[in-house]
Amino acid sequence: MKRRTLIATVAAAALALGACSGGTGEEGGDSEFPTKDITLIVQAAAGGGSDLSSRALATALEPILGVSIVVENRPGASGSTAMLHVKDQPADGYTIGFGPVEIAMLGSMNYDVHPSDYDMLGQIMLGPGVLSVPADSPYNTLEEFVAAAQDKEMTVANSGAGSIWELAGASLADETGAQIKPVPFDGGAPAVAAVLGGQVDAAASGVNEVKQNLADGKLKVLAIFHSERHPEIPDVPTAAEQGYDIEIGGWGGIYAPKGLPEDVHETLESAIAEAVEQDSYQEIITGSGNLVVYRDSAEFTEFAESEAERFAGLLEG
Amino acid sequence: MNPILEGLSALAEPTAILCFLIGLGLGLLVGVFPGITISMAVALATSFTLTLEPAQGLAMLLAIYVSAQYGDRIPSILVNTPGTPAAVATTLDGYPMARKGQAGLALSISAIATTVGILMSMLVLVFLAQPIAAFALRFGPFEMFALVCFGLTVIISIASNSLAKGIFAGLLGIALAIMGLDPITGDARFAFGQAELTGGFNFIALIIGLFGITEVLDQILTHHEHKIRPISSLGRWWPTKGELKRVARPMAQSGGLGVLIGVIPAAGGDIAGLVGWNRAKAISKHPEEFGKGSIEGLAGSDTASSSTLGGAVTTTLSLGIPGDSVMAIMLGSMIIWGIQPGPSLFERRPDIIVTIVAIMLFATIASTIVSLLRTKGMTKLLDLQPQWIWGIILVFCLVGTYATTNNVLTAVQMLLFGLVGLLLRRVGIPAGPVVLGFLLGPLAEANLRRAMLIGEPIEFLTNRPIATVLLALAIGSLFWPIISKRLKNRAARRAPTAV
Repeated sequence: MKRRTLIATVAAAALALGACSGGTGEEGGDSEFPTKDITLIVQAAAGGGSDLSSRALATALEPILGVSIVVENRPGASGSTAMLHVKDQPADGYTIGFGPVEIAMLGSMNYDVHPSDYDMLGQIMLGPGVLSVPADSPYNTLEEFVAAAQDKEMTVANSGAGSIWELAGASLADETGAQIKPVPFDGGAPAVAAVLGGQVDAAASGVNEVKQNLADGKLKVLAIFHSERHPEIPDVPTAAEQGYDIEIGGWGGIYAPKGLPEDVHETLESAIAEAVEQDSYQEIITGSGNLVVYRDSAEFTEFAESEAERFAGLLEG
Repeated sequence: MNPILEGLSALAEPTAILCFLIGLGLGLLVGVFPGITISMAVALATSFTLTLEPAQGLAMLLAIYVSAQYGDRIPSILVNTPGTPAAVATTLDGYPMARKGQAGLALSISAIATTVGILMSMLVLVFLAQPIAAFALRFGPFEMFALVCFGLTVIISIASNSLAKGIFAGLLGIALAIMGLDPITGDARFAFGQAELTGGFNFIALIIGLFGITEVLDQILTHHEHKIRPISSLGRWWPTKGELKRVARPMAQSGGLGVLIGVIPAAGGDIAGLVGWNRAKAISKHPEEFGKGSIEGLAGSDTASSSTLGGAVTTTLSLGIPGDSVMAIMLGSMIIWGIQPGPSLFERRPDIIVTIVAIMLFATIASTIVSLLRTKGMTKLLDLQPQWIWGIILVFCLVGTYATTNNVLTAVQMLLFGLVGLLLRRVGIPAGPVVLGFLLGPLAEANLRRAMLIGEPIEFLTNRPIATVLLALAIGSLFWPIISKRLKNRAARRAPTAV
């Protein structure tokens, strides 16, 4: 890592010098983009899911763009620190960010972060949500759970206040009239641990947190909130199959400061589209229980916008 | 093939050995730098190890994990600056020992305690993984709250000089931790509309500021008045037989506590070290020496903080739930390698368990040897001109703290905490309880509120036996100093000649 950054810095410095002596000036937006290394800002600390996805994409992007992608972690304030930082950077394509689903949520949580403030370059992954219950729970289907939740308030663990998995519970309540009492934990794994220990009635989480315990019969997964079944847990039916139209998940994509020059935008967009096709990228994303779901810039912009609207409704409701 | 042979042979190839050695070197270095936490080092190494074979990657990551346990004690002992949060308790007696001129002895005892702690916890991993993991799952919000309350009573023992000042310091820590996001509703508290403030104070900035920066500032301001530099040239660094005997009991008891704390998800070496130190004090014949350079205190804290390792690994492997922040990162790597930790891992992949245990054992042995060998060189560092030491500490603290967030404000926070720490020190308020309050306050709050979402207050007494016992222990240790004083007085009155 260190060495790569050093080489990248030296190379960037050399290029910058070359550019100056050549007198090409700072027109920017030339079709030569990129000529120096690109910084990819991650909103979470090194080692988490967002960091992993970002580094996997960076590795796949490097040979395509021919420059180094330097991953920079700027954790803090629910991810808004990183997003506000990117917003303030010049819109030249040399600073981009990994935008997790929170980018569509923070605006409804008193942060000045909205997908419309950015150029959304492409969605690169999706981690669909699941609802799990203890192995000895009386509920075996989503329908049974929802029916019981009409009379009894169910405690549903999630990975944290204001997390997408809290919204998954809210979404379920919204759609079915179930009485859900969210119990926020400090991360997805502790939330699932609360199900394993029988501390709560259910947990909303990602696939990864439940996969092995499901295989070992330590918990039951009632539904996956996605349009199709998940290859890692093929026996778990979707919510739609059981008659509930609920899709919710932690997606992630790449965004940039608003107003990228058109050619820069195109270069980055097509590079991302190519990168998500790489085996190295797909292995890491699917290996960590997520799905490689790609949306191009136009689709992603529209999707993020519609998600932001939906979440605003859930967060206020 | 036999799983033991299979697990070992995966390590007996050049790349794995090289990875192991790199990890060992990194870990031994990382711990020494204040602010650079083990999780940060492991996270950065992860981006490299993902492309390797599991045994190779694990060799590097686990070697960092184990050997960093030895490095973070060094700055605690030599300059009162914990290398990682887990070494906060080491400062309580380690630094006073160094000031008494026993830096070498402190480093050796710390290394021995760390080794004992890790080995104890490995026994749990090997022999008791399944029952211990089942125990960990019983720790829901009720039990966590009770445990944290018990942890908070440690403030009483740290603040032995002045109870009022100690309690004030603990409350200050809790108050500082209130800033940030509400753990249950997610609302910002005391953010004054500033997004930058919604994250609350940074834990690393707080620790490094209150210990490292305060120490440097204090030394700069007072070095004219008296020589505070520890005398490193005092030769004896290997404990005597009597000293080894004295530390055996605190090591065994504090280590046992550390193992249990390690098993519980979300409780790690930082809490264990403080609780272990407290335990050592409770059973000591010389509690008055604690905080003034007691080898028992040092042995207790360091055995406890390192004995969380095996527990954390056990929970991670047998439940698929990370036992601490480092294991959370390693869990991610293991899943991508196709080793899915969970209840059946021990039957499915015994070879991987053997590999993991072997790496940790080798890393422990190698780290112990290196630590004991480098003791002399490390104490020599203190012979440097104080200006140099101050400069070096400041640079390391700044760089390390900045690296946690890549944000200058975090480093500014650290410097401010340094000033606050200096102020507190001038009026005789200890820094330990501030850190303890900051660490445990939010855990207490979040778990109590979670418990109240899930159940009723009365459940603490009716159907949560673990919580009931822990709360009783907490209340007991709160009033024990008063009760024991009364009992002693009464005994003295009855048999005045005997005492």
